[in-house]
Amino acid sequence: MVLQRHGGYSARGAVLGEGRGAGDDSLAYMDRERMDMQTHQQPQEHAFEFTGNGWEYFKIWIVNLLLSILTLGIYSAWAKVRRLQYFYRNTRLADASFEYHGLPMSILKGRLIAFGLLLIYYAAGAISPVLAIIAFILIAAIVPWMIVRSLRFKLRNSSYRGLRFSFSGSDAAAYTVFLLFPFLTLLTLSGLAPFTHQRIKQYQHGNSQFGDTYFSFDATVGSFYGVYLRMLGMFVGLGVVSGILVAVGLPLILVLLPVAYLFIAGYYAVRLPNLIWSGTGLGEHAFYSRLEIKPYVWIFFTNMLGIIFTLGLFVPFAQIRMMKYKIENMGLLAQGDLAEFCAGQSQDANATGEETAEMFDLDISL
Amino acid sequence: MISARYFDGKTTAAKAVELSLVGQEWVLRGDDLELRYPLLQTQISERLGNTPRLLTFADGGHCEVTDHVALDQMLEAAGVRRSWVDGMQHSLGWALLASLAIVAVLIASYVYLLPWSAGVIAQRVPDAVLQKMGSSTLDTLDKLMLQPSKLDATRQQALTAAYAKLQPLPDSKMSYHIVFRSSPRMGPNAFALPDGTIVMLDELVALTEKDDEIVAVLAHERGHIEQRHAMRMVLQSSAVGLVMTWYMGDVSSLLATVPAVILQASYSRDMERESDEYAERTLQLNGLSPCLLATALEKLEAAHLSRNEKTRSTQDEAMDYLSSHPATPERIQQMCPEWR
Repeated sequence: MVLQRHGGYSARGAVLGEGRGAGDDSLAYMDRERMDMQTHQQPQEHAFEFTGNGWEYFKIWIVNLLLSILTLGIYSAWAKVRRLQYFYRNTRLADASFEYHGLPMSILKGRLIAFGLLLIYYAAGAISPVLAIIAFILIAAIVPWMIVRSLRFKLRNSSYRGLRFSFSGSDAAAYTVFLLFPFLTLLTLSGLAPFTHQRIKQYQHGNSQFGDTYFSFDATVGSFYGVYLRMLGMFVGLGVVSGILVAVGLPLILVLLPVAYLFIAGYYAVRLPNLIWSGTGLGEHAFYSRLEIKPYVWIFFTNMLGIIFTLGLFVPFAQIRMMKYKIENMGLLAQGDLAEFCAGQSQDANATGEETAEMFDLDISL
Repeated sequence: MISARYFDGKTTAAKAVELSLVGQEWVLRGDDLELRYPLLQTQISERLGNTPRLLTFADGGHCEVTDHVALDQMLEAAGVRRSWVDGMQHSLGWALLASLAIVAVLIASYVYLLPWSAGVIAQRVPDAVLQKMGSSTLDTLDKLMLQPSKLDATRQQALTAAYAKLQPLPDSKMSYHIVFRSSPRMGPNAFALPDGTIVMLDELVALTEKDDEIVAVLAHERGHIEQRHAMRMVLQSSAVGLVMTWYMGDVSSLLATVPAVILQASYSRDMERESDEYAERTLQLNGLSPCLLATALEKLEAAHLSRNEKTRSTQDEAMDYLSSHPATPERIQQMCPEWR
């Protein structure tokens, strides 16, 4: 039994072609690899693979968009489930895909609640500023609670190889990272923004589980400050250069500004996921993300042009392109056999969680 | 028989199995396992492009199937119905049809649904909201582009009195009052705020000696207020902005606002016409000639044209291009056929 399981797995490793003897006898290969790992602790790189296709997704997207419009947005919950299912199932790691199990009704419920809150806020604001402030405080007090439910919903409804993910972050910690820290960030005029960002990610990733294995997060506050400060430096530099160009009277500025802006935005969009995912671990395994600025900016820019010139019909193709780039530059540095993940108590806890889900299940993200 | 992969839901290990549907029961056969699950208690995931499909069994285990054709045949033979969206999501014909339908729905809602619903909602907006919108708009304008009026008190009183004499139409619901301001930047103009306030600029007063012409312009502004045009504009542009932001969300919210602004120009053209008609009826009710508005409009047009000649800044030209005012000769002809 055990032997067969290993055999099955190594055959897949060989199909993936990890750059080693793919033609080896699979059992012998597997054993040698295991010994390698025990002696050298050499992690095995499993890149994520994304098999989504633009045309295929376009057909799904457009039909669901039409249905969403005709139902005044109600069907968009079903559309969202299909979108996530399409992206999850096309995301593969070590020759197995992910799956999304969320129910459209839960998403619809979450959206109705969020819409209701927004309506209350606008109505209060239209009547009196005092009411608006009261509404704002009330909403701010509920939002962290809702984010926790939403995170639980998202992870519990995600699975890989039949094992569910789960989220066990506490409400108290959620109020700290989603309410107290952002408030302090405001008070310090965004001086604490990198700190808050790090704490939010630490809360999200550090409280996530796959089966009974915990995720870990060890990207430091300092490294977040590094990215943010470099970005700030680039903006300051851009400001100085533009100032000089304006003073000299060079029209070059009209080209320089948008291009520089695109690259600085690209820097942020690339370095942060790299930092966050490279700081994330799953049990003894580690993730990596190796996005680069130039290809990212190129995809972003051409996507933008495509969307503008097709009046939005390019949106599904743009999403697929970007997703493919992001996902395929991520991966897992596995320390041992991926197949050895087993479900323990967490899987039982999920089962009881499923019942309370009826009451509080919601997803507020769009 | 389909080759599939079986996961037990407790470990991540995959087991190769041969899947078949015997009667109303799935049968999974692997090297050292044979499992049976009732078809009715199995969740079969929807077909989505070429993605693997999952058969999830009651005990939490599942089978991953990639042979779509074989699975479809098997399900069809067992009488399992496909969801009605399934076929639509995978056909190029439906995709094209859906694209056309979306364009049709968007055009129809922009041309008919949006103005209609904005009108309906605008009429139901509570007075408190209109008051607040009016006062905050005036505050903002005072800060940005308006200055106190330089007209003397008696002239202001005379105009206020002349305006007060103007009988409102019987179906009128709002109360009005005039405030005086000046703005060299905006030139001769008057505009209506949602709460019934009409802002009268000194430059407009200076444009004509005939107070009746000024009253005619005020009647036109009253039409904007009565029909809640400002509220409708706000509702329409925020609705368009919302849809654009959502649709173009991936691009930038900035880009999304541009079309909203350009698109709005044609709306206010209809609104100007509505207000012209309203002014016409008000003037007739008060025994005044609609031609008064026509002459006032012509003077306004001439004044703005000469201003543009003088300043000729690019911004003004851009504003002119996007101008929401309909061509004046056309409006004059409408109101005052005997004119010229």
